[in-house]
Amino acid sequence: MSDKAHSSADDSTLVRAAQDGDMGAFEELVARHRDKIYARAYSMMRNEEEAIDLSQEAWVKAWQRLKQFHGESSFATWMTRITINLCLDQLRRQKRQRSESIEAMDEESGGVERQMPVVTVNPTEGLERGELRQRIDQALSQLSYAHRTVIVLHEFEEMEYKQIAKTMGCSIGTVMSRLFYARRKMAALLADLKKPE
Amino acid sequence: MNRLEPEIGEMKLELQLKLQAYLDGELPARATPEVTDWLARDAEARALLAELQNTRGALKTFEAELKLPESREFYWSGIQRRIGQLERTPSVDEPPVWLSALLRRFLAPAGALAALVIAATLITRQLHPGGATAAMETETAFGNAFTYRDYASGTTLVWLSYPAENGFADFLPSDTLR
Repeated sequence: MSDKAHSSADDSTLVRAAQDGDMGAFEELVARHRDKIYARAYSMMRNEEEAIDLSQEAWVKAWQRLKQFHGESSFATWMTRITINLCLDQLRRQKRQRSESIEAMDEESGGVERQMPVVTVNPTEGLERGELRQRIDQALSQLSYAHRTVIVLHEFEEMEYKQIAKTMGCSIGTVMSRLFYARRKMAALLADLKKPE
Repeated sequence: MNRLEPEIGEMKLELQLKLQAYLDGELPARATPEVTDWLARDAEARALLAELQNTRGALKTFEAELKLPESREFYWSGIQRRIGQLERTPSVDEPPVWLSALLRRFLAPAGALAALVIAATLITRQLHPGGATAAMETETAFGNAFTYRDYASGTTLVWLSYPAENGFADFLPSDTLR
């Protein structure tokens, strides 16, 4: 398949060609979906370098396992799942290296967050996109990995509670309370960031 | 001040989570009236719903803006290099099946046996603290390891019959790694 044919082919054609060993077809798939895959890794890791590294690792894994992709979901969804799993593995490794369980601390402080006053003004209203992005980025960085992950899987990946529970290895109730806590915390952080200096 | 008084601390968590599930379209139909009634009569519930919606909306915008900060060529070259490396060298994480089988079958029992022999050697040394000078040979209980000890020179040699010829490898103790 020529470069021109690659760029005009749909994903499933490219996947089939890549499964037959066509590296050019795989390169085209990378070019098409690299931003999304990087965005997913960055959302979870909060570190540009790590996100680039893990997203590349995800593409390598995908190449190795391409024969296992049978088109039950879209290629982009399949790729994203590989990325999420790699990020979760990495985050768990990092968590194990810490001396205390930040996650446990967050669960304990969840009660405090539930009692926070409701943010009544939309804290992102009227902001320029660049500024908005910067504030959300800052706020997301202040969440623990468990709370950030649940936000990423639900808001960005549009997974249902049940799917998130399966991916993160916890109960649906835990997913619901983590999501609630994370959203409330985000709202409070965004409101604080909007306050004048 | 961006926040509304009074606080919503008294709201029951269960109802709050149901409100969230309602927003996410995950609330079972039978539980919906409870939430809609609450929203109809309570301004704080409506404020909480608005807060959750605002946060969700803001996050959607954020995700759409993230772009890979590397050129297509540079990014691809990194992937291509890693694939090339993998295809040239066998994976360290995943040894070939035949090698795993060999390790499981022979090296683990041999390791356990070596530990036994070392222990026996140390005990023997303690029982004969420098008195005996003659060389000696010991066969272990498993019949496939021998030690040769020369107390005069302080030399110990251990022979292992490898692989085990008496079926020992097939009957590992429970605490031996397989």
